[in-house]
Amino acid sequence: MNLKDISTSVPKKDHSGKVSGQLAYISDVKVENMVYGVLVRSPIAYGKIKSIQLPNFPEGYEAVGAEQIPGPNVVKIIQEDQPIFANEWVNYIGEPILMLVGKELDILYRLLNEVKIEFDELQAIYTLDDAIQQKSAPGVTMASYEFGENLDVISTIEQGAHKIIEEEYSTGYQEHVYLEPQGMLGIYKDDEIVVQGSMQCLYYIKNALISALACGDDEVRVVQSPTGGGFGGKEEFPSMMACHVAVAANAVKKSVMLVFDRSEDMVVTTKRHPAKIKYRTAIDEEGNILSMCVDVFLDGGANAGLSSVVLQRALLNSAGVYKIPHFHAKGYVLKTNTVPNGAFRGFGAPQSFAGIESHIGHISKLSKLDPLDYKRKYLVKQGDPTITKGQFRDPILMEDMIEDLLNASDFKSKKGEFQRFNQQNLRYKKGIGTSLFLHGCGFTGSGERDHIKATVKLVKSRDDKVLLKISNSDMGQGIYTTLSKIVAQALDLPFDRVLYPDPDTKEVPDSGPTVASRTTMIVGKLLERAAKKLKAQWQPGVEQEVVENYVHREMIPWDEKTFTGDAYPAYSWGVNIVEVEVDTLTGNVKLEKVYANYEVGKVIDDRIMKGQIDGGLAQGLAYGYLEKMTSKEGRIQQKSISDYGPPTSMDVVSIESKVFDNPYADGPYGAKGAGELTLIGGAPAVQAAIEDALQTSFQQIPITPEVIIESL
Amino acid sequence: MIKFTLNGRLVETDAPPTARLLDLIRDEFTLIGTKEGCGEGECGACSVFVNNHLQNSCLIPIGSIDGTDVITIEGIMESEQFKILDESYSSAGGVQCGYCIPGMVMASAALLSKNPHPSEAEIREGISGNLCRCTGYNMIVDAINLAAKKGDGLWQKK
Amino acid sequence: MAEKITAYRFDRLDQTLSQLNKENCSIIAGGTDVMVLHKSRRGVPPKIPNPVIFIDHLSELKRVYQNQKDLHIGACCTYSELLEDPLIPLPLKNAIKTIAAPAIRNRGTLGGNICNASPAGDTLPLLYVYNAKLLLRSVNGDRVVAISDFIQGVRRVGRQHNEILVEIILPSVLEEGSHVVFEKVGNRNADAIAKVGFAGLIRVNDSRVEDVRFAFGAVGPTMVRSVDIEKKLLGKPIPLADSDVAEVVAAFDKIIRPIDDQRSTAIYRKKVALNLLRYFLSSKQYQPN
Repeated sequence: MNLKDISTSVPKKDHSGKVSGQLAYISDVKVENMVYGVLVRSPIAYGKIKSIQLPNFPEGYEAVGAEQIPGPNVVKIIQEDQPIFANEWVNYIGEPILMLVGKELDILYRLLNEVKIEFDELQAIYTLDDAIQQKSAPGVTMASYEFGENLDVISTIEQGAHKIIEEEYSTGYQEHVYLEPQGMLGIYKDDEIVVQGSMQCLYYIKNALISALACGDDEVRVVQSPTGGGFGGKEEFPSMMACHVAVAANAVKKSVMLVFDRSEDMVVTTKRHPAKIKYRTAIDEEGNILSMCVDVFLDGGANAGLSSVVLQRALLNSAGVYKIPHFHAKGYVLKTNTVPNGAFRGFGAPQSFAGIESHIGHISKLSKLDPLDYKRKYLVKQGDPTITKGQFRDPILMEDMIEDLLNASDFKSKKGEFQRFNQQNLRYKKGIGTSLFLHGCGFTGSGERDHIKATVKLVKSRDDKVLLKISNSDMGQGIYTTLSKIVAQALDLPFDRVLYPDPDTKEVPDSGPTVASRTTMIVGKLLERAAKKLKAQWQPGVEQEVVENYVHREMIPWDEKTFTGDAYPAYSWGVNIVEVEVDTLTGNVKLEKVYANYEVGKVIDDRIMKGQIDGGLAQGLAYGYLEKMTSKEGRIQQKSISDYGPPTSMDVVSIESKVFDNPYADGPYGAKGAGELTLIGGAPAVQAAIEDALQTSFQQIPITPEVIIESL
Repeated sequence: MIKFTLNGRLVETDAPPTARLLDLIRDEFTLIGTKEGCGEGECGACSVFVNNHLQNSCLIPIGSIDGTDVITIEGIMESEQFKILDESYSSAGGVQCGYCIPGMVMASAALLSKNPHPSEAEIREGISGNLCRCTGYNMIVDAINLAAKKGDGLWQKK
Repeated sequence: MAEKITAYRFDRLDQTLSQLNKENCSIIAGGTDVMVLHKSRRGVPPKIPNPVIFIDHLSELKRVYQNQKDLHIGACCTYSELLEDPLIPLPLKNAIKTIAAPAIRNRGTLGGNICNASPAGDTLPLLYVYNAKLLLRSVNGDRVVAISDFIQGVRRVGRQHNEILVEIILPSVLEEGSHVVFEKVGNRNADAIAKVGFAGLIRVNDSRVEDVRFAFGAVGPTMVRSVDIEKKLLGKPIPLADSDVAEVVAAFDKIIRPIDDQRSTAIYRKKVALNLLRYFLSSKQYQPN
């Protein structure tokens, strides 16, 4: 492959099987000697199991629980607080207690109803507000960090300030609604257990299985099935399902299939953390910011999961794209007896950006400047320090991107036009809003160097085809195509001679999980280097193999304890402008126009990038006004897609977008991460547009019609 | 015994009349292109044609399809129209995770056969029962628009 | 194995009625509500009380025709069929277009929407303001009831077990001169269940109100309509005085009692219902449609 510009689009590797529906997702698979598994789940939010009474099982049906786990009863993630099967305490409604296995689903569903469990029910913590009240009680705070300016210094500044602005901002749940519900198959073989399913992180699962099965490295194998969307929802959650099917397969010596019903998926799987963010900002008479304190509270749900890392990213983004003088931040993950929250595209950043964009927008009103002009005053520039005493090393194109988008959207004349429209129209009001944002690419801090230590392998066959041997999942984002393209370009080999088989831990080294906008930038760079190495030693007709290991960029070392140093090797950037029309009788918000500029280093494939922009923005915009999930006494209320309300084709409008080139030396062909960035600006821009339409301010997302009607 | 035509072939089944057409297609006839995304008619991943009308196979009790003509994605895969849709989805970049796509292709074909020159609003309405979480729909709308143009004259052919 | 399910699918309506006269059956028209209501978990047929009887294919139930100024709509016409029928009035088509999405509209029927008697039934507010009458048939003959008498509560209708809803009759609907408004408020633009539904009808003669009707959906167990409140406006001059509008809005404020659920709040539902009513009444002029 010899593209003049790497960004030129090529056909997607996995197109045919997907468009015809003949590509087998996990629920399309049937293997010999296969039974189904269904989970007995806790009906209560918090309590102790007193007794379990099982029904009489027909032949071929049995229950699998904690006693059948060869290793510790823990899903290995970060902390050891998540049982595979709860056998003593239950901490949320829906927590798995047992798995029933057998041939027929209707018999299993009947048996599920006949399992009788007695509990000693205890007082649960249902809401984030309750958890904040009780945050010093034992076990409630699951993680916390604090950093930034000395509080005594801030206190002195505040005493001399013209005004102290305090705001409390809250964000809701967001549910992934990947189209393919979670599914996992444990295949029983004499010498190994193979776990196959819908997933983003093969080695997270493999490590969890080695622990659960207390077995050797060669006794478990993880194979990714075509994955029907992930968005973070298939990052850590599948580890638990994998343990369930593997333990069950091991116990009953049959292959065990576990596929969720949509309502089950909506009620028991991880979601985006609801957050409460408190801002305390000192300003002078002209409205200039003198200091700012931010407190972030995340509702972790019942288990720690990845919440501590989500909190880190939320905190690292708590000042947005701004250089704020005398900035201080602290944050907590708090336990509630609700469904555990976890990874979701953006990973803590969407909450922080929604909050800071909203807060700065509100402060700007006191300075009599247009919100965007006010924000631009504080925009970080190349060479500026980060809030953790790291540095923005690379060129920042935000000013150009903003200027370009103002022109593209005709922002200034729209403002006037909308004002006139709103004066004349009693029912409908139009508004326009902006958001500025960034996304740190790759793992936080030294995660890549100290924890992930990615390795990639390229194997050249005798017929001179090259195979990518890496553990990263294509879940729709297109890495089968983009990573193959990087290798084909570096090797100057036709695209169809580069192959990327479905990852299988028996065949591939650990190139890390498919998360954190790291795949293109980190894994892609390793592949580019491996390909160049292979090219240098290329021998036609000979089988060859090259391996490449992660090398850390020289940075200010990250110290997690003091929260100082360079949190990310590089940042991607974005600007969004959104126009809405609000129906003041019903509170319904209609998107009218969406404009977006991004900078992701260098685009690897224009068409795939556009897919990330449109899809990410649709989710991000909907997070701001459309998608609403609530929990009542520990129970998720929206169990169907329509009750939750992700956008349909009639809710989204076409998006005018542009991507700016700014090649990054440590990314393949200059590329940085792009997948998460595109979601982040949606909600704050939609909020700003609604506020502009109604000339009011909101302290929460989603800004649903209910919220709007209450405000009018 | 329920008899109907499935992808042009007369078939019969003794599955219970309240069984879902979706399960019958997938389990008994092992046609995997019809996917289950919600089971309540809210996502469109299980879209099929019954007597040439787009329908959600998860909401159809098989007792009601006796004597009808059922077509799944497998039944149109070899058609000229499918080829156009395939190419259009590819060049417009309409496919990401792929799980909604067979249903989306069925909805696209249904729309174009009724309305070969749809406006953007009509395209959006035509696929409004087919949820996609990856693409934000716009590149699918582009794909259908492209297919309408590339397959001009072809859509109302049987 | 699974229990044996008895199901009937007769070629003619009279056979269907005679079977219904012998035993109580679950009637399935399009099935789009029934299949969800009785849904099992993945991979297992829904648990519909049996025997079941399929009626959606019966040609006797699929006719649309005009009888003087009345419109008769066969109960098993699908929404899509009605959208294509030139006799169906535009406001009803607009209401139908807000229902779910094309695949559901290709299957769901108007009769099904009525007999399902959901508080959020999309077409119901409009059928109430049209004073729809329902033709029910059994082996013993026909009877006609007003829709507001037929729907008795949440998913509860006054159908005898041997009866089938055959036709929906919209009296005088083809008469010129009424201005009809329908608004469905859902959480998104397709595939949404109504949080509030509103239908209003007004006929003005010589700048005075000659006829006026309103109905609200999803704000109570059944559609909310009050002929007594409507009467207060008869003969009033158009545009209506602010005090007249306020009086009607206040009267509905007393009788609309919505609930909180997973889709919305009682406060929202009530406020929006009254907003839509006020907006309808405050219109400066009414164009017949």
